[in-house]
Amino acid sequence: MRRAPIVVTATAAGLAGVLAFHTSPQSVKISSADEGNSQPGPVSPSITPSAPAASQSSKPASRPSPTSKPKPKPTSPRATSPAATTRTVDGPTVNYSYGTLSVAVTVTGSKIVKVGIASLNDDGNPRSQSIDQSAIPVLESEAVQAQSGSIQSVSGASYTSAGFRTSLQAALRTLGIS
Amino acid sequence: MGTIVTIDVYTPAGEASDDIRRQLGAARGILQQADAVFSTWKPESPLSRLRRGEITVAQAPAEVREVLANCACARELSGGWFDPWAMPGGVDPTGYVKGWAAQRAADALRASEATGAIVNAAGDIASFGALAPGTPFRVGIADPAARRRLAAVVCLTGAIATSGTYERGAHLIDPRSGQPSAAVASASVTGPDLGLADALATAIAVAGVPALDLIAGISGYAALIIGHDGVQQWTAGFPLAPDSAR
Repeated sequence: MRRAPIVVTATAAGLAGVLAFHTSPQSVKISSADEGNSQPGPVSPSITPSAPAASQSSKPASRPSPTSKPKPKPTSPRATSPAATTRTVDGPTVNYSYGTLSVAVTVTGSKIVKVGIASLNDDGNPRSQSIDQSAIPVLESEAVQAQSGSIQSVSGASYTSAGFRTSLQAALRTLGIS
Repeated sequence: MGTIVTIDVYTPAGEASDDIRRQLGAARGILQQADAVFSTWKPESPLSRLRRGEITVAQAPAEVREVLANCACARELSGGWFDPWAMPGGVDPTGYVKGWAAQRAADALRASEATGAIVNAAGDIASFGALAPGTPFRVGIADPAARRRLAAVVCLTGAIATSGTYERGAHLIDPRSGQPSAAVASASVTGPDLGLADALATAIAVAGVPALDLIAGISGYAALIIGHDGVQQWTAGFPLAPDSAR
């Protein structure tokens, strides 16, 4: 039986109350794209290990963002591996607890190879900066490693994860991956 | 300071049924309520009023009494290294509440059709179930020295809390001196309940290596610490993954 996760980001605060409550829980259905995959299923909550771009499975066609680069047109479908194409796209700027951020994601074929921060505005608050500096690298690492199927979560710092995931998901949609 | 909680729910179909959505709503309500009651940043929260002496423990909401009773147990189990009553500014169960609330949120989901869930409250994780039968969840422990890396990977059954000064600076207080303390770079505790794991992780982060023996004596709980030199030490039973870096 294939088990696929859905992810919901909620906010709460055991510690204090600077957070807004997201009134609309974000549920992401993860499709099981690669039928030939013998793994237990997609393991990343919000980053879907996807089939190669050539087999879009049942997912609707992606909507390219106006800012995304035109995709190279394959001259001979399936003649070349989709993994040969490396693309980078920035996700939208989203609010998070301490300001705004957007992520940049780089994929080769349909595999995430790098996740970074494209923009970050935490209003210069030292506390925010301290948290950002510790949390964001963890999130970057988590995103890449989660797609590899090696881990499901990280114990440590993950303060900005909701905004991070939101921007990342949008970036992946732009790339036609999620 | 706020906390973001992410909830990953595993279902057979990969979809959220009405049942799961309902339990997710319950989980969110639990977290929201915990924030409303225990926030030390909201002046009108019951905990803030208790800290100012405007209400007594007996007058506080039932969950405040429950949390403080649990904190008293955690204080005893930790040999006094976790002590909400020794915090500057009055009683502060923050080191317990976040894990307690996340655990209750996970328990709400356990009552649903979900086959597993991971509730991650700013790095402290309550879970149940597994990725698949016989395939436990794998959770990384952030490397306090090089945070783009993971220092270790655990096969998780239940909860894991990690405490350290690298997240939020020197916020851990030694209850014996009242001063900030950071005996180790990072301390993680696994066990069935995230509230207690959270409190114990805080205790070890302050007390350091000697507290490992305390944890070893608590049934169902195990600990791993990472020293400022990067050296890892753990108690018997800590569920390191076979391929975890050491």
